[in-house]
Amino acid sequence: MTFLQPLILWGLPLVLLPVIIHFINRMRHRPRQWAAMQFLLAATRSSTSHAKLRNLLIMLMRILAVLALLIFLARPLIGGWMGWALAAAPDTILLLVDRSASMDSRVAGADESRREYALRMLADAAGEFEHSSHLVLLDSATRQASELPSAASLLEWPDTKPTDTAADLPAMLQSALGWLIENKAGTAEIWIASDLQASNWKPDDPRWKTLITAFDSLPQKVRVRLLATTQESPGNASISIAQLSRQQASGKGEVRLAVDLNRSQANAGTATITRTLNDVATELEARVTGQSTRWRHRFAVGDQAGGWGKLELPADGNPRDNITYYRYSDEHPPSGLVVTESALGPLWQAAASVAGQAGRTPAKRYAPGDVTPADLRDATLVVWQAPLPEGEMANALRRFADEGGRVVFFPPGQPSTARFAGLGWGEKQTSGDADFAVGRWDEDQGPLANTDEGLLLPLAKLGVQQRQQVVGQAAVLAAFDDAQALLVRQALGQGEVYFCTILPLLAWSEMGDGLVVVPMLQRLLAAGSRRLQRDSVAECGQVSAGDLQLEWTSAETGLRGDVQTQAGVYKNGDRWLLVNRPAAEDEFERVEDSAVAGLFGSLPFQLFQAQRDDTALQGEIWRLFLFLMLLALLIEAWLIRPSSMAEVAPLKPQPAAA
Amino acid sequence: MPEPSAQPLIEADVVGRLMGQPLLARFPMEGSVSGHHRSPHRGSSVEFAEYRNYVPGDDIRRLDWRVFARTDRYYLKEFEAETNLRCYVVLDCSGSMGFEGEHGTRLEYAKRLAATLSYLIINQGDAAGLLQVTEKTATEIPPRRNASHLQVILDTLGQARPTGETRLVPMLHELAEKARRRALVVILSDCFCDGDALRDALQHLRFQKHDLALFHLLDPLELDFEFDRPVRFVDMEGSQSIITEPATVRAEYQAQLKRFLGKLRDDCHEFNADYRRVTLDRPYGEVMADFLTERSRHATRA
Repeated sequence: MTFLQPLILWGLPLVLLPVIIHFINRMRHRPRQWAAMQFLLAATRSSTSHAKLRNLLIMLMRILAVLALLIFLARPLIGGWMGWALAAAPDTILLLVDRSASMDSRVAGADESRREYALRMLADAAGEFEHSSHLVLLDSATRQASELPSAASLLEWPDTKPTDTAADLPAMLQSALGWLIENKAGTAEIWIASDLQASNWKPDDPRWKTLITAFDSLPQKVRVRLLATTQESPGNASISIAQLSRQQASGKGEVRLAVDLNRSQANAGTATITRTLNDVATELEARVTGQSTRWRHRFAVGDQAGGWGKLELPADGNPRDNITYYRYSDEHPPSGLVVTESALGPLWQAAASVAGQAGRTPAKRYAPGDVTPADLRDATLVVWQAPLPEGEMANALRRFADEGGRVVFFPPGQPSTARFAGLGWGEKQTSGDADFAVGRWDEDQGPLANTDEGLLLPLAKLGVQQRQQVVGQAAVLAAFDDAQALLVRQALGQGEVYFCTILPLLAWSEMGDGLVVVPMLQRLLAAGSRRLQRDSVAECGQVSAGDLQLEWTSAETGLRGDVQTQAGVYKNGDRWLLVNRPAAEDEFERVEDSAVAGLFGSLPFQLFQAQRDDTALQGEIWRLFLFLMLLALLIEAWLIRPSSMAEVAPLKPQPAAA
Repeated sequence: MPEPSAQPLIEADVVGRLMGQPLLARFPMEGSVSGHHRSPHRGSSVEFAEYRNYVPGDDIRRLDWRVFARTDRYYLKEFEAETNLRCYVVLDCSGSMGFEGEHGTRLEYAKRLAATLSYLIINQGDAAGLLQVTEKTATEIPPRRNASHLQVILDTLGQARPTGETRLVPMLHELAEKARRRALVVILSDCFCDGDALRDALQHLRFQKHDLALFHLLDPLELDFEFDRPVRFVDMEGSQSIITEPATVRAEYQAQLKRFLGKLRDDCHEFNADYRRVTLDRPYGEVMADFLTERSRHATRA
């Protein structure tokens, strides 16, 4: 319970007033000579316990009436949002509004989104405090604090409009903490409106612990109230592009897309997708099964320069996640570079060859001692089967990866203490009677993903007799049954570094048949071509600081666009910027209530579940206390009422003579 | 201790209004001289009583010769005897009679009743006496008919002061034993004593064939018990005191009082005593007028 006029609560000792008056009254008794003492004594004796109880009740009612009057004057607020604990209105209320794309899901049975609902509820609730507290907005997209002139302005405030960003709750709380410290705020409350999306809340993030400790150590008391907009939503589907590559197929240029379709329903069916390519819309159909489907799509672009477009789903529960943009760049032929001294050189060259109009061009090959940083200039993929590079070459290779190139290291056969991107080669292992079997690999993305036709790469049939361990921490894309890695990936800038632990030699494995190694290297070759492109790709809200400095024009509308919050394809001179909604925003997973409460540790925390709780966050309940006061006074009046006339009446009249 | 009121005990206008109404006994009285009241004996009044057979020794002058002529039998025609009234006014002078309400003290009210009653009785030729009951002494003035006797009664009444515990019950028993001849006993008291004992005493008087009239004097405050704040009640006949919130005990107090009053009235009705509850807010003249009227009506019916 929160009070809008908490100063009145200083008058709470006044509840003792009836008791004090009672004792003063008793002290002020008058002496009275009394004749009918025998009846008075008998009455006192027989009515002692009853009278005591009645006196006690009368006193209680008087105290209750004073208490209710004081609480009524203090204007209490109550509701699922406020709880019942007594508290005064805070000096500052920080409104943390989740503006992520998932917050634009429609609320079932209502003509508003979760974000609109949350804003309306927050504005209503904050309206009670706008004269007693500072209202400060801190939105998930900008994480910039701005003081609101009134609670109602929240609804129209620019920083509460929908975005295509993801929210980072720990970062928002970090900003809130910073604001509180910087502004030396007094008592504060943090009101959070969010849909509890797990990818936004990051419950496993180590920042939570330090954040809560920091809040605890603040000199002022901070209370957290969470409005969880977890209402039911109508059916929803989202679309995002996982991969895009421009390739030459049969001498013609084509764009290949791997599109992820996520749906709240699991039934099989057909999804209608509208593909827009350079302002020309085409309606496509995709077969979907289960909640998550990867749909592969390719379309010919010939030799034309780069282009852009978007894929769009029909309107559904969340209009915000129905569009994904893509941009394919000008033709930049990929180029492979093989660094090895082994006999596998030709094989690597063939596997990393590039198809052109004049047939396939094998990758260039260098000996480790001959390769120079200049040789990397036009390369998109480097296959390195030699001791790990060191010195200037290592730096050049790091820059190459940082720019978007792909590097694949194959085992040199000898353990080494050298490291590249935190990874190095360990011991070589030989299998016993049974080969090392590949247990699992990432079939959805990466170089070992399924083919466009949905076919698995034959890793399961791959017999491996020898392997060389990888030392260091990296994402495992494929692993053996014994959990040892087959292929690991380390992100480095815009590029990626891979360590493959087997060789396509018969003494090592059956990878030499090319069914795995060729698609793997070809995919990396295509992915690495991004290095040569001048296009920037970013997730909404994660646009680099350098790009943010530029003035971007939306390719779709021709107007200046906000690349930080709105997805789209943007242009600045001859530079392009593709901004898409973060893929994590399409996940439907939510954090449990108990887990959320656990995140805030010892901080006073109040959760309001919009789905479960009342429709109002809070309400002034002075009427209740006014009613209570009147009730207490009525009961008191009833208790102190004179004895009924029926008892007294017979005593009064003059009786008739006997 | 309240001072005696400066108001005279007998007010001319009150007795003036009451003098037209004789005070009659409800039962036959035994007086010493002829009077207006019925006697248990046959006498020579004009009021026919009965015929009875002549027995030797009867005065033959009282034979009804007409009946003898018709029936040839000797009958005596008897007439009611009429005698004078002997009235004892019993005045309770215990401490509780000093209770002072809005309308004066109870004792002053009782004194005026006693004085007016004595005046009326003596004025109609009957004998009035006074028994003043205090804690230690009982002042008894035997019934006399002469006018100077009234002054004695008035002087005694004037000296009466409320004090101590009541000895009404033993004094009534004593009176019942002492007054052998039938008389009218008028009791003026608040009756704040043991109800059963009082009942026995009243019954004793009635057993002696006395005509009994009990004026139960109560102040309206004692009935209503209306106080707006805590009060320390001090017993007027003892040293006991009690601080209480009157509102909390009022109902029970009234219930106790009602029970007591009801029982006393029922007891009086049971042995045909004339019970009169009098609240002190009523003018005593009005109370006396009612008393006399009731008596006259009763005598007429009889």
